[in-house]
Amino acid sequence: MSVSREEVERIAGLAALALDPAELPELTAQMDRIVGFVARLAEAGSLEEPREAPDTPVDSPLREDVVLPADLARSPAELAPEFVDGFFVVPRLGAMEES
Amino acid sequence: MSGAGAVARAVAERLAAADVARLNATLAWSEAALAAEAARVDALPDDGVLHQWPVAIKDNIVTTDLPTTCGSRILQGYRSPFNATVVERLRAAGAMVACKTNLDEFAMGSSTEHSAFGRVLHPQDPSRVPGGSSGGSAALVAAGAVAAALGSETGGSVRQPASFCGVVGVKPTYGRVSRYGLVAFGSSLDCVSVFARTVAIAGQLLEVIAGPDSRDATSVAAPKLALQPPGASLAGTTIGIPREYFPADLDPGIQAACNRAMDRMRDLGARLIEVSLPHTSLAVPAYYIVAPAEAAANLARFDGARYGVRAESSGDVRALYRATRGRGFGAEVRRRILVGTYVLSAGYHEAYYGRAQAARRRITGDFSAAFAAGVDLLFTPTTPTTAFRAGEKTADPVAMYLADVFVCPASLAGLPAMSFPIGRSEGLPIGGQLIAPPFAEGVMLAAAARLEAALDPVAEAR
Amino acid sequence: MSWETVIGLEVHVQLDTRSKMFCGCSTGFGNPPNTNVCPVCLGLPGALPVPNAGAVRLGVRAALALECTVQPRSIFARKNYFYPDLPKGYQISQYDRPLASGGRLEIESSDRGTVPVSIVRLHLEEDAGKLLHDRIPGKTAIDLNRAGTPLAEIVSGPDLRSPAEAREYLNALKQILRYAGVSECNMEQGSLRVDGNISLRRKGESALGTRTEIKNLNSFANVERALSAERDRQEALLARGETVEQVTLLFHPGSGQVRPMRSKEESHDYRYFDDPDLPPLLLAPATIAAIGEELPELPAAKRSRLRDGYGLSAYDAGVLAAERSTADYFEAVCAAGAEPKAAANWVINETGAVPPAGVLAELIGLVEDGTLSHQAARRIYPELAGGGSPRDAAERLGLLQVRDTDALAAWVDAVIAGHPAEAARYRAGELKLMAFFTGQVMKQSRGQADPRRVQPMLARRLEDG
Repeated sequence: MSVSREEVERIAGLAALALDPAELPELTAQMDRIVGFVARLAEAGSLEEPREAPDTPVDSPLREDVVLPADLARSPAELAPEFVDGFFVVPRLGAMEES
Repeated sequence: MSGAGAVARAVAERLAAADVARLNATLAWSEAALAAEAARVDALPDDGVLHQWPVAIKDNIVTTDLPTTCGSRILQGYRSPFNATVVERLRAAGAMVACKTNLDEFAMGSSTEHSAFGRVLHPQDPSRVPGGSSGGSAALVAAGAVAAALGSETGGSVRQPASFCGVVGVKPTYGRVSRYGLVAFGSSLDCVSVFARTVAIAGQLLEVIAGPDSRDATSVAAPKLALQPPGASLAGTTIGIPREYFPADLDPGIQAACNRAMDRMRDLGARLIEVSLPHTSLAVPAYYIVAPAEAAANLARFDGARYGVRAESSGDVRALYRATRGRGFGAEVRRRILVGTYVLSAGYHEAYYGRAQAARRRITGDFSAAFAAGVDLLFTPTTPTTAFRAGEKTADPVAMYLADVFVCPASLAGLPAMSFPIGRSEGLPIGGQLIAPPFAEGVMLAAAARLEAALDPVAEAR
Repeated sequence: MSWETVIGLEVHVQLDTRSKMFCGCSTGFGNPPNTNVCPVCLGLPGALPVPNAGAVRLGVRAALALECTVQPRSIFARKNYFYPDLPKGYQISQYDRPLASGGRLEIESSDRGTVPVSIVRLHLEEDAGKLLHDRIPGKTAIDLNRAGTPLAEIVSGPDLRSPAEAREYLNALKQILRYAGVSECNMEQGSLRVDGNISLRRKGESALGTRTEIKNLNSFANVERALSAERDRQEALLARGETVEQVTLLFHPGSGQVRPMRSKEESHDYRYFDDPDLPPLLLAPATIAAIGEELPELPAAKRSRLRDGYGLSAYDAGVLAAERSTADYFEAVCAAGAEPKAAANWVINETGAVPPAGVLAELIGLVEDGTLSHQAARRIYPELAGGGSPRDAAERLGLLQVRDTDALAAWVDAVIAGHPAEAARYRAGELKLMAFFTGQVMKQSRGQADPRRVQPMLARRLEDG
């Protein structure tokens, strides 16, 4: 089970992590090492088991449908790197558009 | 000067003192903040269980008054608009937030070498690590700067540094303490945990912060945490010794310290029996699948859009996300996000994540079987080595992961577990671990307190 | 070459709760941006979700209304992807253990009559925030007020055979969910959203063809238009011997066209896993049953009962049952004593603010017993929205129908005397002039004459004349 550079780049894309090309070889080697280590589980034999616990005839505790104050010590405006007219601001969608 | 004011002043002096400051254990504190805490406490009735206690808070637990960085550049300067439930409970009981402590970035690590703000030094030997990820909290308690500190555990991040630093570290049952306000790493594993110099102090702190929270759907309205006074002996207690935690090649110093502790247990009337937890060797691989997978999702919110640090980036929003995260996260965090994304991705999900969850159920089953067979507590070494040297394990990520081999299984099983000092090897602290059945913290703490009184923690084991 | 169209719809409805799915923020809209927010729906570090009991109740209600099996144990899962309207970088949804499955909804197809459409699944999830692209040039503005609003996703089987049937399905679904009080289902306001899946296959084949997905639909009419356009596009492709590619298309309302999305879309890898912050959602059988008891009479049953119980036509029953409030009103009017067919006419045809049920019943009674002409009654109707006595209103407006024989005779005589030529023609056999004479009497009496008495009187006097 080995992890290729292309795979690392693909995964980094899914995780929205920009990678420095210079670090890619070492990172690939480390990923390969880690994945190889955790893949030990594959050798562990059958671990099959029913996924479901027995059903309990009880209701989950849930939150009643009431409006609660947010109680924020700071507003979104104070937290945001860029905030205009009450909106959080980020760049245009670009490549993310229509996805 | 007011009572609390004097305490605050003393804390400030300790934190500023050369021997503590050089540890790099804190990420945020100020005399003004301490004074404000003192003023607040002075206005409270003086019957709070933790009245005037200064408590250090690991910097992945959010506070409104001091920044929360999680040891990361991506949250540098972040000021949370709300306090964690555990912080609210501490303060309501009269405690003062002393400072925020340094940690491995986003709690990912076993040495506190992976902080964006420099590593933490071992209080006894600056060339060594205090353990991690809660190294800052452990070091401050060991250095006597604070009586107690909060840390967090996902795979042993309080017990392991407690063992390295020679202090008490207690992880509660998963769900016992609210996670609301603990920045999530491995959500099914994360537990706010406590450091203290003695078992009694740790127990008091745990009792204050424990209890269900309507803001955390995984917090349990369990049997209330019931501290017990340590009994006169351990008569009637059966302590299981799992053979998988005592390999033939266990460090001799650690083996010796454990042998001494076990002798003491027998002296106190406990019955010791050997047990087997056969799936123990699956724990570290399973952990390093489940925790990164959950972490990859938990850290997806850090994108520079709404809070935190935003990278300079021309281009579209995806470019902003990638640049912010690529530059804002350190190497270990990026590795874990990549591993986590990988093991959940299409084609790999069942082979990795599915199997890891199955392995986890088996590990939990091992513990349940042991407890069901009449064992009250399990005793093991906390760590396979004493505090290692800085840089010793950073070259190979897997070498670092294996430092968690004895603490990780109890994390996966959600069990209460603790480390307390049982001796020294070549001057460095050794911790012994107790693991208890779910919600049996009371029994565990009572036994530990009894042993604490019977053992000389600084005695050389051999 | 005969092609069969196969359509399935994915519908998202906003559940009608006070607070959001996983936090206590208000779901009310129209507020300034980023004011209905808290650490949870902002996705701040350390925040945790807690499920809304009311949202679960409404989800179960919707599922039962659609005859689904509600799972006593369902699981929330994380759907992971990056998008500026998704604060946590994942959406809390449900994946392989949804709240409900195996339901059905009957629709009336103009081609096939009554058709059962399968409901494959219904699950709970949280909504994303809103993005504005024109607010700030070159940038994206984010408003998270909507982020975290409870949604139910309802997935139909590939059981619809035409764009018109798709529209019928949406009408029926909207109706039943409004009946159940689950959602406003207003597409224009965003409380109902639709994605359509469409493929073609040769008639008689059982395997499904490659399907395409259409998004960005903003009205039921446009759903039908978009599906028609896409069906035509696929048919043309297949006729040329080409194959249909599995793409996602956007509907452009201005042109009525569907166009593949600009970016070559790689299929998303959402990396679903059970959300560790949320325990399994457990519902006791007794709880599910109690929610079922809360369900009102649903549209199909209501239609049948109105038709059979009140002797109405299927059409009238259908119109009355379109909205639960209308049907309830109709029944209240009948309960107050009105004759059902008359009540149906009034409720269906009159627009504007409705009088209280008892008052309308009274009004109808006055027409039935000849105190008011139908025309006069319609003039009084708008005056009665706030209640009051129809008879008093009629008197005030001078609209009480006159049945006094002398008064009627005076008008009749005056009209006949005033139109000697027409009278002669009538006597010569042009009986259809009765309508003319009746009209003249009504005019003479300013609408107050009772036409049912006027006509026989006219007939007698013209004949005698």
